[in-house]
Formats: sequence, structure tokens, C-alpha cells
Amino acid sequence: MNAPALKAETTTDRHPLAGHSMSGAEVIVQVLADEGVGVLFGYSGGAILPVYDAVFRHNATHTCVDGSAEEVREPMRLVVPANEQGAGFMAAGYARASGKVGVAIVTSGPGATNMVTPVRDSMADSIPLVVICGQVGTAAIGSDAFQEAPVSNIMGACAKHVFLVTDATQLEATVRTAFTLARSGRPGPVVVDVPKDVQNATLVWQGRGELALAGYRARLRAVEQAVLGDTDCAAFFAALLQAQRPLIYAGGGVIAAEAAEALRAFVDAFGLPVATTLMGLGGFDSTDPLALHLLGMHGTAYANYAVEDCDFVLALGARFDDRVAGVPDKFAPRARFIAQVDIDPAEIGKVKRVDWQHVGPLKRALERLTAYGRVHGLKPQLAAWHAHVAELKRAHAMNYDRESALVLPYAVIEAINRHAQGRAVVSTGVGQHQMWAAQYFDFRAPRHWLTSGSMGTMGFGLPAAVGAQFAHPHKLVIDIDGDASIRMNIGELETVTTYGLPIKVVVLNNVGDGMVRQWQKLYFKGRFAASDKSLHKKDFVLAAQADGFGWARRLERVDELEPVIADFLAYPGPAFLEVMIDPDAGVYPMVGPGASYAQMITGDFIPARAAAAARKDSPSHMF
Amino acid sequence: MNHTLSILLQNEAGALVRVAGLFAARGYNIDTLTVTATHDPAVSRLTLSLQCDEAALGQILQQTRKLVDVLQVAHPATALAA
Ligand SMILES: Cc1ncc(C[n+]2csc(CCOP(=O)(O)OP(=O)(O)O)c2C)c(N)n1
Ligand SMILES: [Mg+2]
Repeated sequence: MNAPALKAETTTDRHPLAGHSMSGAEVIVQVLADEGVGVLFGYSGGAILPVYDAVFRHNATHTCVDGSAEEVREPMRLVVPANEQGAGFMAAGYARASGKVGVAIVTSGPGATNMVTPVRDSMADSIPLVVICGQVGTAAIGSDAFQEAPVSNIMGACAKHVFLVTDATQLEATVRTAFTLARSGRPGPVVVDVPKDVQNATLVWQGRGELALAGYRARLRAVEQAVLGDTDCAAFFAALLQAQRPLIYAGGGVIAAEAAEALRAFVDAFGLPVATTLMGLGGFDSTDPLALHLLGMHGTAYANYAVEDCDFVLALGARFDDRVAGVPDKFAPRARFIAQVDIDPAEIGKVKRVDWQHVGPLKRALERLTAYGRVHGLKPQLAAWHAHVAELKRAHAMNYDRESALVLPYAVIEAINRHAQGRAVVSTGVGQHQMWAAQYFDFRAPRHWLTSGSMGTMGFGLPAAVGAQFAHPHKLVIDIDGDASIRMNIGELETVTTYGLPIKVVVLNNVGDGMVRQWQKLYFKGRFAASDKSLHKKDFVLAAQADGFGWARRLERVDELEPVIADFLAYPGPAFLEVMIDPDAGVYPMVGPGASYAQMITGDFIPARAAAAARKDSPSHMF
Repeated sequence: MNHTLSILLQNEAGALVRVAGLFAARGYNIDTLTVTATHDPAVSRLTLSLQCDEAALGQILQQTRKLVDVLQVAHPATALAA
């Protein structure tokens, strides 16, 4: 993420097209080409027509041959969704799966406003995007023109940054700078709003140069150059060596910073167990003996008990969000020392006071700590803690009713996981199915888990899977979706088949908004306002067939589970599987809002610790 | 407590809205706001006062520094500049 940040200052080579005359639209496309953008997600319209035309002409004159397949393909593939929100999530799925900047291009007004949700979603999850929006001509801005929307105002409130390009001579530098902004520091979405006359302006291509942004770049440089000094390292290890039960709390920053290997090496050296946030899944191999998998509201019981028991927390690219530290004072209540590393100074101590901190690139910080500890022969003695963690994992393992006559979602994910083995890219909608997927899949490497973590946007799963499949044409990509979530962007089923993507779409159908029902059971006496879909008429299998899925089936019986899933995953093209699951299946464990981890409910099949299990007011009977 | 911040801002489209929007979105109430020109026509100075406690002040400073058009944020009373 960090390396190319200050690229423009070091590039001295003259661009082969420097001095050529180009339209603004051609300038945009040339910057995209120079950035190595191979796929664009977007929808055309009046105010962006020049750019789409320039993409068309670029592809017509720059065909390239694919090394492996020897097939001629377009260098800048255009992927057209059913709705701009789909394009935004495709770009986000592409970015999440590849680590590269995802690019979306939309028209003004409704095209841009349909893009607001993915932009906000990407901001909240720190995903690098560049979104180019057409805008009405500069002379018409502010006149309530046809398809005008105040994009800079709207997006300014939810993007990392928005540029409204009013001076055409700044266009080239602005688009280039947008990429730098999107991927540098804490990554995020950057929107470039380009009036139509700017797209049509005649410009001279420079081939280099970015906007100055003196404040941003100075702050970025300070953060990127920050190093852990000997005193910092010594203080860190002094505290660590005093701890008996140290724990790593790893967040999405581990993935954004490409720090998974450095984390692995740190754990190999010092033996701290690792609990991962929803965004951090894949940052540490969940099948490792020291992996505690997910923590938080729906974390594993053993991860949450380990947080309860630990006396030292090392937070890595994690921000004590309310799904993890719902009650900050009660989070890790026995921790005598909290250390935090983040790229964003605003996250240090935002929720919980910390005793040791470092603002800087996570990979380098971990490498530095590992090297320091090794050189000084510092090795915490954690045998007792490791035994405790192993016992927590054994005694409070994830479990469910394995004799159930109804198909249970946990069994479905486990069955898929036996085939995927942590090597498939998995995307999700939002709700119970998302949590079951997080809990029951193995995550062995970064960028295989694509989920809307902070915003929790239903409708994310299907378009994100499309983007991921473009990032990894040869990988198995699975969308684990909910019957309600998939409806939100169901138009994208057709996008899957239009582009012949071999995505495997799974709908865990519990006939409604299961997660909402779970909360209604717990906190609203079972009044299912607006969350029941038993009167809905959609036949998902027919819908998938209508959109051209060559494999589409409904699974209703437990004894069919294994063979149908094997058949489904083996199908070479787009495949759609609807699974009718027990509508009463709940997500366990659960740390309710306002509760501490000690008060977590674990359901009937995961043993809780005595104290919590004995609680008379446990609401678990309501599931 | 009453705090006064001094912000140097690049004169870009929407820059002022983004500063005001950040304060609104994060629930900080601006008591007074003055925008003045500086010797550099591309830069303006915002002087802004608000009521908040120390913890909130730290967050406000850090969050404001994340705005791309912001060149500098200072809290003259504590000289917390960056
Ligand atoms: C766009 C959006 N609207 C509303 C919500 C609130 N919400 C969270 S989960 C959920 C239900 C999701 O139902 P489904 O996709 O079927 O998943 P399930 O919980 O049944 O597995 C709702 C409505 C949301 N997260 N996103
Ligand atoms: Mg559902």
C-alpha cells in the first residue's frame, strides 16, 4: 500500500506520449492505463459518454495477448452491472481480493448517487477505490440542470477525498493523485467529479505530475517514515515479558498493510495467540493452534474467553469497534497493558486508552519488534497460557445440533469448507449467514474473505464476488448470501452469466431477515415486524435459470447435502444453490449489546463457562 | 471547555464544506467560525471555536488532520500543531 505513495516525485522518465494532444476523456483513460487498470466497473450515461467512448477507442487500438490463454483480450475491460451500486461493490470486491485500487466509472446525478453506498462502505472498511463521476458542464453546475447532483458535497461526507475538476489543465494530475490518495496511508475511496466540458477539453498530455497536497503528503511522510526506536521496543518487551497471558487482537489493518507474513513471523518468535476481527480474517491462519479465530459480538467462545482472561493486548490494525469492544471498559478487563499499532493516528486511544503505541506501517513495525526481540533473546514463557488456550478451544469449540432433521446453515458452511479448505475467495451478504460464514470457514491467507464489515451493507456479496472473480479468474469464488441480502442486488445475477464467471452463489434461505428476527426474538418479544418473508413469491432457482445459470438447484434435505455441494462446486460455470435452512437457526455465541464477554450466551451446543450458563435470565430459550 | 482551533486550508472546491461537515458528522458543535485570506491566495485560514473536553479535542485535531485539503491544524492554547 505504501510504496507507490510518493511515486511522482521520483519518476523522471519521460512518458512516450508526453506533448501529445488529447481530450480530457482520453487523459483520464491514459492515466488509468498507466496505473495498470485492467478492468473498469461502471455504467454509462449522458455526462460520462466521452470517457466511455475513449475507453472504447483505447480498447480498439490496444488489444493485447494474454500470455497463458493466447487469447486476444481488451486491455481495459469494461464490466457493466445492473445498477451502479453493483459497479461500486464489484470495484470494492476487486480491490479487496487483489490489494489493487478498484476503479468505477459512472454518470452524473443518479449514477453518482447510486454509488454513494459502496463509497461509504469502502471508506468504513478502508478499501482503496477510484470513482470517476461524470458531472454536468461547469457552466451548468448549480443551475439544477438535468441529472445534476452535488457530488462533491454528498461524497465529501463519505469518501476519503473528492475532487471536482473545474480547471481542465489539472485533470491529469488530479486523476493520478486520486490513485495515490486511495492507496496511501489508511486506504479509502477517492471520487473524481468531472464536468462534461472538462472531458471534452483539448489538453496536452504531460505524462507525469501530481497535485501538491502539501499537508496530506507531509503527514503521510511522517507516518510512513516512523520507526520504532530501541526505547520503544524495550518498553514493549518489558511489558510483554511481565505478562503471563498476552494476546494479539488483529484487525483489517493486517490485511491492508500486507502484514500477514510479518505477523506469522512475530507469532513464531514470541508465541502470542491471535484473535481476529471480522475484517482481519485471513490475516492469520485460522487453522493454527494459536489461532482463536473471530472475536467480538459473534466471535468464538474461546476467542472471547481468551480476551476475558488475557493480561496483555497487542492491537494490530484494529480499532476497538463497537462489535468488538461494545463496552470499552469491560473489554479485556484483566489486561494490564494494551499496545496498539495503527497507520491512522486518530485510531490510537480513540476508544480505549493504550499504554504503548506506534503510528506507522504495520509490516515494518512487526518486523522491527521481531528482530529486536530475537537479537535480545527475549522470549516470553507461555507454556501455561498455551495450555489454557488449547483447553478453551477444546472445551468451547464451535458446535451445533449435528442430529438436526432440518438443514442447518453451520453444516452447509462446514461442507463447503471441506472442499474449499481456506483457498476459495468467499464473499457474503449481511446477516446471520455472514456470521456463520465467518465462524465456520477456515481462513488461511489474506484477501480470501470479502465482507462488508463496518457498514454491514446487505447486497454486497454478489457484486463483490463478481469483482473478485475478475481479480482472480482462476480461483474458486463463492458468494454466501442471504435470501434478503441477495435481493438487494439480484440484478447482478445476470452480470455473472453475461461475463461467464464461474461464481458459486449460495443462498441460505431462512425465509426472511434472520438476523433481524434474532434480535426481535431477543429484544422485542418475538414481534417479527417487517422481517418475515413467508408471503414472498420468488423462486430463486427459476430466477437464476432465467438469468442463464447452467446449474441451479434447491437443497432441502440433510441427506442430499454432501453430494449436492460436491456437484455444485465441481460445476465449471456459474452455479446457484439455494439451501432451505432451519429458519430458527441462531448465531451463537452472542455478546449482546451492552454486555461483556463474560455475559456471552453460547446456545445449547457450545458449552459456556459456569457463571454465564447459570444465568437465569439467559435469553437463549427464545431462539 | 472552550477551545479555539486555527486551520490552514487549501482553497479547493468544497474544502470548507468538508471541514464543517466533519465537525457536524462527528457531533462537534462549532460556536464561531471565521474564514480569512492569507498572503497565499491558494490558502485560507479558518479560526474556529467550540466547546469540548480534552479527549474530544484530541480526536477533533486528529480527524481534522485526515482531511486532505487541510495543511495545518493548530490549537494555539496547547500549541498542538501539526
Ligand atoms: C442495506 C441494508 N439494509 C438493512 C440492513 C439491516 N439488516 C441487517 S441483517 C438484515 C437481515 C438480512 O437478511 P438475510 O440477507 O436473509 O440474512 P440472514 O440474516 O437471514 O442470514 C437486515 C435487514 C442492512 N444491514 N443493510
Ligand atoms: Mg435470510
